[in-house]
Amino acid sequence: MDEGAGAGLSNFNHVFEKDHWLACSKNRYPVCFQEVNQVGKPSATQGRVLLNSYRPANLFDELIDAHGQVRPYYQPVAERLFSLAPEAVDQKVKNLELLFLKQGVTFTVYGDEKGTERVFPFDPVPRLIPGAEWEVVEAGLIQRITALNLFLYDVYHEQKILKDKVIPTEVIHGAAHYRPEFVGVQVPRDTYIHVCGTDLIRDRDGRYLVLEDNGRCPSGVSYVLENRMAMKRVFPQLFGSTGVRSVDTYPADLLAALQYIAPRQTAQPNCVLLTPGVHNSAYFEHSFLARQMGIEIVEGRDLLVLDGFVYMRTTRGLQQVDVIYRRIDDDFLDPKVFRKDSMLGVPGLVDAVRRGNVALANAIGTGVADDKVTYAYVPEMIKYYLGQDPILDQVPTYLAWRDEDRKYILEHLTELVVKAANESGGYGMLIGPTATKAEVEEFRQKILATPRNYIAQPVVYFSQHPTLVDGALEGRHVDLRPFILCGETIKVLPGGLTRVALKRGSLVVNSSQGGGSKDTWVLAS
Amino acid sequence: MLSRVADHIYWMSRYIERAENIARLMQVSVELLLDSAGVGAATSEDYWSPVLAATAMEGPFRELYPNPKPGDSSHFLTLDERNPDSILSCIREARENARTVRDQISDEMWAELNQLYLLVGSARGKELLENTPQVFFEKIIQSSLLFDGVTSATLSRTEGWNFLQLGRVLERADKTSRFLDIKTQSTIPSTETALEALEWGTILRACSAQASYRRVNGTEFTLERILEHLLFSTEFPRSVRFCVRTADELLHNISGTPTGMYSNRCEKLAGALLARLNFSGPSDVLERGLHEYIDELQVALNEMGQAVFEAYVLIPEDALRTAHRLHGFDPLGYHFQKQQQQQ
Repeated sequence: MDEGAGAGLSNFNHVFEKDHWLACSKNRYPVCFQEVNQVGKPSATQGRVLLNSYRPANLFDELIDAHGQVRPYYQPVAERLFSLAPEAVDQKVKNLELLFLKQGVTFTVYGDEKGTERVFPFDPVPRLIPGAEWEVVEAGLIQRITALNLFLYDVYHEQKILKDKVIPTEVIHGAAHYRPEFVGVQVPRDTYIHVCGTDLIRDRDGRYLVLEDNGRCPSGVSYVLENRMAMKRVFPQLFGSTGVRSVDTYPADLLAALQYIAPRQTAQPNCVLLTPGVHNSAYFEHSFLARQMGIEIVEGRDLLVLDGFVYMRTTRGLQQVDVIYRRIDDDFLDPKVFRKDSMLGVPGLVDAVRRGNVALANAIGTGVADDKVTYAYVPEMIKYYLGQDPILDQVPTYLAWRDEDRKYILEHLTELVVKAANESGGYGMLIGPTATKAEVEEFRQKILATPRNYIAQPVVYFSQHPTLVDGALEGRHVDLRPFILCGETIKVLPGGLTRVALKRGSLVVNSSQGGGSKDTWVLAS
Repeated sequence: MLSRVADHIYWMSRYIERAENIARLMQVSVELLLDSAGVGAATSEDYWSPVLAATAMEGPFRELYPNPKPGDSSHFLTLDERNPDSILSCIREARENARTVRDQISDEMWAELNQLYLLVGSARGKELLENTPQVFFEKIIQSSLLFDGVTSATLSRTEGWNFLQLGRVLERADKTSRFLDIKTQSTIPSTETALEALEWGTILRACSAQASYRRVNGTEFTLERILEHLLFSTEFPRSVRFCVRTADELLHNISGTPTGMYSNRCEKLAGALLARLNFSGPSDVLERGLHEYIDELQVALNEMGQAVFEAYVLIPEDALRTAHRLHGFDPLGYHFQKQQQQQ
């Protein structure tokens, strides 16, 4: 998943870059900022130092509606925040980042011998989502994860969806993260994805679109919890009487979801979090979650497998492990089965999983569901398994091996983004609107030669949100990553991680390239 | 408790204690340098030589600086990243161990240690050392003591506590005995002036023992009384005997074996060493030779540390079953950790 742009930077950052093809340089999307409107006269509020200078762009603005008015649900927060002196707000944010640094709320930057840790930049203007709007998003996410789990169960058992030709067999068998050796293996509660982080963006009309499903090791939830704590601490006055739905229960919900799949249903099954180690970019999050759940954080070398059971080495000898919340990929789990050179895994772990003596969250092989090509078929999956129409739309994806899709792609090459199906990051990608004629022709030939290797999507514009930049309020692009837990019931963390591209016009929400985050408030009503 | 976690906690506190002791030794040496400035022909380097010797860093220093210039040795001891036992390296190691077991220690402990790390590694830390070295050393010492206090006030008295204290007292015993040995390091060339200058009072202060010594013995310094105080005192918390007794108690807390008995090699070694200290005194030390006695003491302390590792971290019988390396930094493992994608 390495890619040029992020080379030498953290994996966590890669996530932010991965497949966010929109996240290219700003001049590729001149349209985003061509038409800028001055906000209409603000309504009866005093001291709007910050707001007066704010200019919404010609795309969906989270704060200002089409008539230049502050959206009603933002009114109370806008009044309180925008009446503060900009310098005071700036100072508070600086103090906050210092606090984050002191508390070690950081991610590690790679490519640096010292393993420099950085604070994930924090923007104090909260993103608000009205309760009713959230209900729809939540229902859509629950529908989607339900379908994905049914799909995974099916793919690893009878493969009905392939036999019924809803999804071509080659698509699944060709997916990089498909694990044929796991066909027929039982997983506890028939659930594959227990923790999912789905990336959403909003188009010009404010519709939420699914950009991708992260069903392997999604990260970022610790920042959601830390951001909320920070906002409560630094801007308590903003909360006022605004009913903001709490995010506090996430660790408890996660633990419950883990305990739910324990093979031994004892009073307190032994759940552990498996981390690649302290040098991993997301180690803060691993450690944070383990501490919040009160479980052990283990490395591969802390575990060993004896007679098909997993144990951890303690000062008092070996202790059996029931559930592993693993934050390492399939490839690294077990050198006996997957990558032989992996030093992060536990030899024999996969055998213990097969025997049902230990449960993994997420299960092995979930990568086939968040695959770039599989993504195109999720709406069909929802219809096939649930008999429903998808509640959440997604970015239309054209598959070059379908005749009519290919015809469309070739006719609209200059408007589309073309991606190689089996490559990730920026490799083998064409950004139609900014490509040269020669590049377009080159891709035309490539697509004609091996249509199976290519997919295409239209350019999508992220919504923008007011963000504090050098004491002034400016529009910046945002996305949203809600977190979904599948335990006894499916629970969606209200809100999620809002990532913001701090550079003007940039669609990069990547922390390594000036991306930051803000607190996300789902309003109670 | 996970074996690896016990190991990290043990090293976390050992490194903090190590940084504190180096800082204290340097602090008194700087003072001494100021006191005697202009008295003789001794250069500042002469004052650092015993410090290097007392911290067993003379060899590595000569390797890195074949032709030392003024300031090299003090840089080597404080902020030199190439020296694994410099104050900066110790604090970084302590903090890295803490970061690894962040979920096991209190927020307050982490915050204290992390703040110290951020200071020492910063430009402000460097400035502080250059302009007011005394303040710099004071800050390290205070922070270490504060960490100790915060630990005492916030950490549950479970196994982790025992391993943490064990790291502290073993390091403390080691440093007290090494500092005592400064006087006997007569083989170091060109440091006679410095040796003369490093009076007993300085050594006592380096062990934070001056006031407690005076309360017992008045202002007169005699070798016997100093040995009694730094090696055999049952009251002074930095004496070797006090530390070994504490270590013995901690080991028995960990295993649950009654004191006076042993269930593993480290308890056996601790008990034997404690007995030796309990039933000997300054005259025995002088009979054996101070340097020889301290040498033996340090060998015994090292063996204890190794035995703790073998008993609780290594778990030798099952170590054979896995190909993983159990201890130490591994570039390949490091590489894999970073390669591991987080979506």
